Amino acid sequence: MNSSTSNFNESNVSKNTECLPLNEQQASAPRPSKDKRVYIKITLAIALTMMAAMGLVRVLLDSNDVNKQGILGRVLQAQAALPQIIAEPNELVMFYGSSMTRAGFSPRKFDHDLKAIGKDITSFNFGFGGLNPYYQEIFSRRIAEQFIEKDRKLKLAFIEFNPFQTTTTRWNRAQFTVDSFITMLANDSELWQILTDDLSRGIQLFTIKYIRNHISAEMITSYYAREIFPPQREQVFTDDEATVAARQSLAQELNQLFEQEYPDYDGSNWYYPWQGGGTIPAERSAHTLTVFDKYYAVSQTAARMKNDRLSRIRSADIEALHFEPVLLESFINMVKNFQGFSDQVEVVMLPKNSRYIHYSPAAQKRLAQAIKQIEKATGIKIKNHQDIEEVNADMFRDTTHLSRYRGDIAYTEFLFKKYAAQL
Amino acid sequence: MIFNTPIFFWFFCIFILFYGFAFLNQTPKVYLILISSLVFYGAWNYSFIPLLCASGIADYFIAQAIAKSATKQGKKRWLIVSLMINLGILAIFKYADFAIESVADLLSVLGYQASFTTLSWVLPVGISFYTFQSLSYTIDVYRGDMKPRKGLLEFVAALSFFPQLVAGPILRAKHILPQMHKISLPKWLEAKHGFLLITVGLIKKTGADILAIPADKAFAAQETLSTLEMWTGVLAFAGQIYGDFSGYTDMAIGLALLLGFNIPLNFRVPYFAKSPVDFWRRWHISLSTWLKDYLYISLGGNRNHNRTRNVFLTMLLGGLWHGAAWTFIAWGAFHGAIITLTHYLADLKVFKRFNHSKKIWISGLKWAITFYLILIGWVFFRATDIHSAINIIANLHTIGSANVLGMHAWSIFILTVIWILLVHIMDYFVIKSANTLEQKSWQFWLVIIVGQALCLLIGEPSNEFIYFQF
Repeated sequence: MNSSTSNFNESNVSKNTECLPLNEQQASAPRPSKDKRVYIKITLAIALTMMAAMGLVRVLLDSNDVNKQGILGRVLQAQAALPQIIAEPNELVMFYGSSMTRAGFSPRKFDHDLKAIGKDITSFNFGFGGLNPYYQEIFSRRIAEQFIEKDRKLKLAFIEFNPFQTTTTRWNRAQFTVDSFITMLANDSELWQILTDDLSRGIQLFTIKYIRNHISAEMITSYYAREIFPPQREQVFTDDEATVAARQSLAQELNQLFEQEYPDYDGSNWYYPWQGGGTIPAERSAHTLTVFDKYYAVSQTAARMKNDRLSRIRSADIEALHFEPVLLESFINMVKNFQGFSDQVEVVMLPKNSRYIHYSPAAQKRLAQAIKQIEKATGIKIKNHQDIEEVNADMFRDTTHLSRYRGDIAYTEFLFKKYAAQL
Repeated sequence: MIFNTPIFFWFFCIFILFYGFAFLNQTPKVYLILISSLVFYGAWNYSFIPLLCASGIADYFIAQAIAKSATKQGKKRWLIVSLMINLGILAIFKYADFAIESVADLLSVLGYQASFTTLSWVLPVGISFYTFQSLSYTIDVYRGDMKPRKGLLEFVAALSFFPQLVAGPILRAKHILPQMHKISLPKWLEAKHGFLLITVGLIKKTGADILAIPADKAFAAQETLSTLEMWTGVLAFAGQIYGDFSGYTDMAIGLALLLGFNIPLNFRVPYFAKSPVDFWRRWHISLSTWLKDYLYISLGGNRNHNRTRNVFLTMLLGGLWHGAAWTFIAWGAFHGAIITLTHYLADLKVFKRFNHSKKIWISGLKWAITFYLILIGWVFFRATDIHSAINIIANLHTIGSANVLGMHAWSIFILTVIWILLVHIMDYFVIKSANTLEQKSWQFWLVIIVGQALCLLIGEPSNEFIYFQF
């Protein structure tokens, strides 16, 4: 070589750029051509620097709880509980869905009411925030695998069809999570299948899983991007200062009461003793329930509800409902997965807060079309509970989620009345 | 295959094992480079491998024919064949649809409604780079600047050499062919410099991807943004394109160094330029020198009072080289205009003193004017169409809502400026005194490890390099 680029300086630069001076004589300067020592050094340097850099990344991520457990803790805890669920002596019911399911179904209340009429059923809440049908479908394969392996069946599976989780807006906003979530939820044979279809993507996913500890760069960049370029929050409407102060003070009091009343709670996101659901009013003190009433009075204000509506229009297209074909297809596959290990599968749409959510006529058409597509593909008629009388607008903590001790109890009672006879 | 993706990392690891330990002799090494380069290229679209090879094979034999031709006329005829093949490939794949659509638009303006079918062909990656590289060989042979080379495989291996295949730098045949003819081992210090350049390139690319966020926002929502946000967006794009392109080039040079090849520098702290002419001596040097040597000089250069016309034509075609769109032509024309203006002013007596002054404030002023003009140029380059570009430029010069913005908008603006400055300082350091660092063992490896960890942490491999589209 003409001049060592490792000693780049201005004079070298000008040589290199202006006259490209390398002539044959210089290039053919004698060098030992078979000496492997430099390549031993280079190979070691590549391997060791990459290992050290990756180690540094792992330490940094783990110290900030940015890992599989920190991100999908509830899903993984539910997955870990599957052997115990399968070993339950009673018939099993599972409610599978989004955060609306998590907030809207109380398994212990459901079981309690069934027991009162002499039916021993154990039900579980498998509602997970942040999982759209694409991810839910992958996770449903993991559930199916374990049930099928143990030759166990669900007596009844409720599967939530959540139109707000199935929009193109929702899908686009989840893109940064796709690689990471796939590596957390898919098994190696599924990743291998991806690799055989698309080598580059397959290698990327295996690298994320085994070298990056499931955390893609997109996840991290997106996290920092949100810090630097925060997403637009719709805070158009405001409460008066007294309401805000009361809300903060009551929330603090509720936290303290929770700690007093549940000293054994281990902090799990999916807690087996509660069967994946939340606490129930029967085990709370009268004082706590009064504080809850006061809290709802200052937290379910019109201003908060209107802000929440605007925010969800932006993040999930909840009133225009432009459905994403990929998500609809995933939903259909998920239902089929459940059909493989359930005696009965019910696809339900949970109550929505119709005081604040109003579908446009075009959205209604699109929703009807989507329902038709799912029903045709699965052979199951969807039960639309979005506007049932048993649940009113005061039973929501925001525009889409039912509130604790009000909405969840009312909806669980509704399900009990509808399905008790079949169980 | 992109340099900052896992697939490229594993590809390179496997390659280096074969290259360093199994293929020890010259000819097997050339075979390995050729096959690996074609695999690398085929990872995008294997159907374009024959086009790449055919272009190289044609120029290889044309160069032989030029050398064998006894008459000037015969040599010229063969050169025209080479020009027709290379520029023809470019015309068909890159410019045909643009030409068809432009004719249709023109007829529509004249009142004729014509319907043409476009080719809608996929643009082969790196086509602008390898056709120019191949063309430089036949022109050099025609001009007598070099003798035709023996060894078709070496020639095609050099043309398709994977570190520089898809986004340059545009190598001259007289630079790369001798190296391919006698592949040498890298010295350890050179390899260390390669590691440093790869790391620097990765850092630049990572930063560029982050800058893309405000840049995309500004160019997508030009109507609704404040003046400050628009300036932030344009600055961010300036930082993005520099980080993206020079980052790729740094990685290319670094990878080549690990293989024992020397690729010339393509950028030299371009935003420190103090005139548009100076900028083009620092920005995409391999293209600007190519255009100067093979186009500007062929047009007559500075002779016969045609400098203005030749500069303008060269820059116009340089713009068109980047892409088949009016925005790129406008960008080239804009740079042609400001270079011409610089030449004109430099010739005026009143400016001569100004031009040669070494006072700091004058240097600062020259830098500020140049940087401002470069930023305006980037608006044409990045905007989706001329109309949008003009809107954005108007918005940039509207005294408006900047004051009502909160700290957040100012923070992003300041962070963008700091990042561009940091990248330039980093580059300046690499050019000036990297060898000092490279001789300090543990400090050097610490920089490499921390730099690579940063890129692994937040570098998104899904973001392609901007210059791949050219």
